[in-house]
Amino acid sequence: MKSRSVTARTVRRVASTIVKHAFLILMALISVYPVLWVIAIAFSPGESLSSPTLAFGIIPVPSTFTLVHFSSILSLTVGNGSNFPLWVRNSALITVSSVLGSVALTLPAGYAFSRRKFRGQQASMFSFLLPTMFPGVVTIIPQFLLFSTLHLVNTFFAVIIPYMVGSLSLSIFIMKSAFDSIPREIDEAAMIDGAGELRIFTRMLLPLTLPSIATVSLWAFMGSWLDWALAHVMLQDNSLWTLPLALYAFLQSNYSYYGSFSAMALVMAVPVFIVFIVFQKYLVTGLTAGSVKG
Amino acid sequence: MSQRGKRRSVFGRIRGSPYLFILPALVGLVFMVLYPFAFNIFITFTNMNIYHVRPCADIFAQATTGNSCYTINTDLFKNFVFVLTDPAFVQIMENSVIWTFSNVIPTVGLGLVLAFVLNSKVRGKTIYRLFMIVPWAMPSFITLLVWKGMYNYQYGIINALLSEIHIPSINWLESSNCFNPFLAIVIANIWLGYPFMMIIFSGALQSIPQELYEAASIDGATGITQMRHVTIPLIRPTIIVALLLGSIWTFNNFNSAYLITGGGPGICTTIFITQAYNQAFSYFSFAIAGTYAVIAFIILFVPGIFWTRYTGLTRSAA
Repeated sequence: MKSRSVTARTVRRVASTIVKHAFLILMALISVYPVLWVIAIAFSPGESLSSPTLAFGIIPVPSTFTLVHFSSILSLTVGNGSNFPLWVRNSALITVSSVLGSVALTLPAGYAFSRRKFRGQQASMFSFLLPTMFPGVVTIIPQFLLFSTLHLVNTFFAVIIPYMVGSLSLSIFIMKSAFDSIPREIDEAAMIDGAGELRIFTRMLLPLTLPSIATVSLWAFMGSWLDWALAHVMLQDNSLWTLPLALYAFLQSNYSYYGSFSAMALVMAVPVFIVFIVFQKYLVTGLTAGSVKG
Repeated sequence: MSQRGKRRSVFGRIRGSPYLFILPALVGLVFMVLYPFAFNIFITFTNMNIYHVRPCADIFAQATTGNSCYTINTDLFKNFVFVLTDPAFVQIMENSVIWTFSNVIPTVGLGLVLAFVLNSKVRGKTIYRLFMIVPWAMPSFITLLVWKGMYNYQYGIINALLSEIHIPSINWLESSNCFNPFLAIVIANIWLGYPFMMIIFSGALQSIPQELYEAASIDGATGITQMRHVTIPLIRPTIIVALLLGSIWTFNNFNSAYLITGGGPGICTTIFITQAYNQAFSYFSFAIAGTYAVIAFIILFVPGIFWTRYTGLTRSAA
């Protein structure tokens, strides 16, 4: 009698484990499937979407393994000697500047919103939320007009400055809630010990908010590394191209170069994926800020 | 002593100026967001487009043809009337609403289910999670082009798989009925969106203290009861935030509809945001694009306010 109920329970547990794994494997497969195509096309000869062969009638694999697309994007030259290393450099330069700039704008603002009370605080906090509710694509036109008045179109400033500000509405609140979560007693204790505010900020608060700084950097990184729409308008000279612009060019001519496109897409995606794996734990820190408190 | 005094003075100076702290961010916001925002509102009252790019010296003058400058419309709300009475407007509005709900509800649902499964005792969580953040971590304009290829009527893998199980090929993207292309972009966008929800909900589930479950089981609560009285109430705030933010983001999400179907065939998959983009960058009717953006803002303001109020984001902790 007893042993039978134990068996029933075991059967149920095994069954539920099998169902769970079947579901998870299915979802994992669906998640990576389109990316398998990118990989297979990138390593197959030919520039067509249908160059890979199908294993088991469904899994795309390279027809013959080749690195030809990678070597061809390395030797590719456009206009007056603009080439792949230059675009990588442009992308890296723009992204690093945007991330640093975004953190530099976010940190002091998040600190002030968390630790201070001042006139106009509610209003200015609310104004930082406005961009969330406004379709971003249309702000490109006024930004373009503004930068062309300042003669900054076709310079990196025309993209770095908007990227720095682009993720602000999320990141300021991520930082604010990070500072909110540090007890004020820490500040007060340090103050009594004679530490100045700057010292408290750099020595005590900053190390505690590192996960949130990582989150803020990640959002800024994604915003600038992957952006095409703004860069397309602001950076017309091909010596200023970023990777997404160069990538786009492969599909623009009469004939689409899907092989080279996929190879370059992989090169572009790898840093993003690495950053995601490294920061997995912090990805959504503070994103639902305040929601836990209700 | 002097060192200490100096420090105090620095301390004092910084202490008195929270405005200095928010100034850099505020300057950025004003020039890159608020000014474009105000400018967009302003141009909805003008005839600005690719042929009329600069403001006229006399901006209130009647628009004359052949001018390369723009003026304020004599009939101030002309552009709003034009957009709102456009026969396509009703369908675009409908599309946007259906688009938003048919994406947000499945992504939140799927994210929740996966978060629960991955939070239970199951082997290989880390690997599964790693695979499942791929859609989020890959640049979306690349994967969306792959989806477009997979939906191809003749060569696409989806129809090839359907024919394996003896289902006739489906014309996904060019079908004259709007259902197929719409379903196509919704499926691709759910694929893009669920990993984010999964990670948010995983975080919420992990933040529930284990003691609560222990206390509940001492009181005799198991499985479903625990779920109803412990888990659900504690993650409800996160679900509400995910629904609100998800709706705003989906409404504003431009890539899926634009890259897979380009809003077509006809206006089958045209939503508010792709319409605004096309008006600006295909037809170069900047004033009309601005009008769409302003109407979108009015619509999004409501969930936006709910979100702000609900999370108390702008409430100061002090």
